Amino acid sequence: MAEILQILILGLALGGVIALMGSGLSLVFGVMRIVNLAHPALIIGGAYITYLAFKTFDIDPIAMLPVAAVAMAAVGVVLYRLLFQREAKSAKYSEMTVLLTFALAMMVEGLLGGLFTNTQRVTSPDYATAAFFIGDVFIPKGQLYAGLVSLAIIAALSLFLKYSRLGYAIRATTQNREAAELLGVNVQFISVLAFAIGIGLAGAAGSLVSFVFSFFPAKHWEWIAMLMSVVVLGGMGSILGTVVGALILSVVAAFVGTWIGATWSTLTFFLALFIILLVRPQGLFGEKPEMA
Amino acid sequence: MTKLLEVTNITAGYGDGPAIIDGAQLTIEPGKVHCIIGPNGAGKSTLLKAICGMLSIRKGDVVFKGERLNGLRPDQILRKGICFVPQERALFAKMTVRENLRMGGFILDDKRELERRIDGILERFPILRERADQHAGTMSGGQQQTLAMARTLIIKPDIVMLDEPSLGLAPKVVQEMFDIMKMMSAEGVTVLLVEQNALMGLKNADWGVVLDLGRTLFEGPAATVLADPRIQELYLGGKKAA
Repeated sequence: MAEILQILILGLALGGVIALMGSGLSLVFGVMRIVNLAHPALIIGGAYITYLAFKTFDIDPIAMLPVAAVAMAAVGVVLYRLLFQREAKSAKYSEMTVLLTFALAMMVEGLLGGLFTNTQRVTSPDYATAAFFIGDVFIPKGQLYAGLVSLAIIAALSLFLKYSRLGYAIRATTQNREAAELLGVNVQFISVLAFAIGIGLAGAAGSLVSFVFSFFPAKHWEWIAMLMSVVVLGGMGSILGTVVGALILSVVAAFVGTWIGATWSTLTFFLALFIILLVRPQGLFGEKPEMA
Repeated sequence: MTKLLEVTNITAGYGDGPAIIDGAQLTIEPGKVHCIIGPNGAGKSTLLKAICGMLSIRKGDVVFKGERLNGLRPDQILRKGICFVPQERALFAKMTVRENLRMGGFILDDKRELERRIDGILERFPILRERADQHAGTMSGGQQQTLAMARTLIIKPDIVMLDEPSLGLAPKVVQEMFDIMKMMSAEGVTVLLVEQNALMGLKNADWGVVLDLGRTLFEGPAATVLADPRIQELYLGGKKAA
């Protein structure tokens, strides 16, 4: 029983971080239909910002989170203006963004590799290696903090989307871009804003990831498959779906990793992706393609 | 004649494609219901999309209250007082009726006033009040069209443009849509209607416009358009007005 509880706690804590990693990807797809394969590479960008601040000025990774988020959001604005805005009305926009963001991921990887080399990095605040103990169950402080901060950010994002004026505009643009425009929403501005928020979330996730996982520039290839599985399971464009998808898959992966073997743990995500696409391509909270 | 909106010889089309309307003109008088009729492909919907800024105008002018609208975005044109309800009704399927109405007043800055107007709309349309917390995508076609039309009233627009409001609706429901349209007109809202059911559209309108091959062929009082034997033959399937 204690073992099950232990695995469940570890899976949920990690799931929170993965949910934050995927939520930006989901938001950007929902509003702009951009399949951002470069999202995890930008998460790594946020992780390096945090790493630099930690190594140089001994700034706590969680304290650096707002800085990394804002810095990456600014990068998002530049990227959107440079790469995506011009083609936004193209009929093949989503397909084009797959290729475009693939190239972007390679460029970001190359840039980070040039700046930081391919050595594995990790930030190591005190809590990253400490744990709480409740009886026989231990809760790693690093994963717990990262998971809780992630869920708090997602909760704040959800409240913003649900109740604020800009949140209404983002949700409306996600559901029906043309209708939103006809009701007075400046969809170009909303697209830039949503992209900036999405990449800002990548930056925030990068700060947390920096002490949960070791990272290096090419690590993003491993993460994109995991994040796509999470987002597809939840339903592309659904933040709630991303959270539920991340928690489910992380817990399942934790059980698989413990009971079958760590090698098989990653396979959980790939297998889930295949099964979801075959059985329920719209995911848990997504719309059926024909209803769109 | 007082002009609220004047469209002068405009040319417009989709992207870099050929012009769908070329030489269309229109004069809209305040408070009246104007109905544009014409065969499929005449450019009726394209004309409305050009007026509301969804398509760029290549030639000609759209002037509203003396101000040129060419080159403005749809959200900027809405703020001038022109609302457009496209054929697909432009609802947010996963938002509730109340949230859809809230989006209808997106350009209003005063939140309290917005909520007051939403309550007013729900009071006037009992079917929407009953379903205020229901997702729009789960309602019937008639209820969705009612919501789409009622939503335009939130910002108290000068002109509401309706593209085929009767499309896909049962005959009984169609009459309800025309009743809502007349109610709008009675409240001083100018209506510009595109209607495939030309006979019904003209019967409910004050002014008729015949569009064919992207240009305006004829415009005049709806009763005159209805009574014209050539128009009856060409555009009303030979049906005479009752």
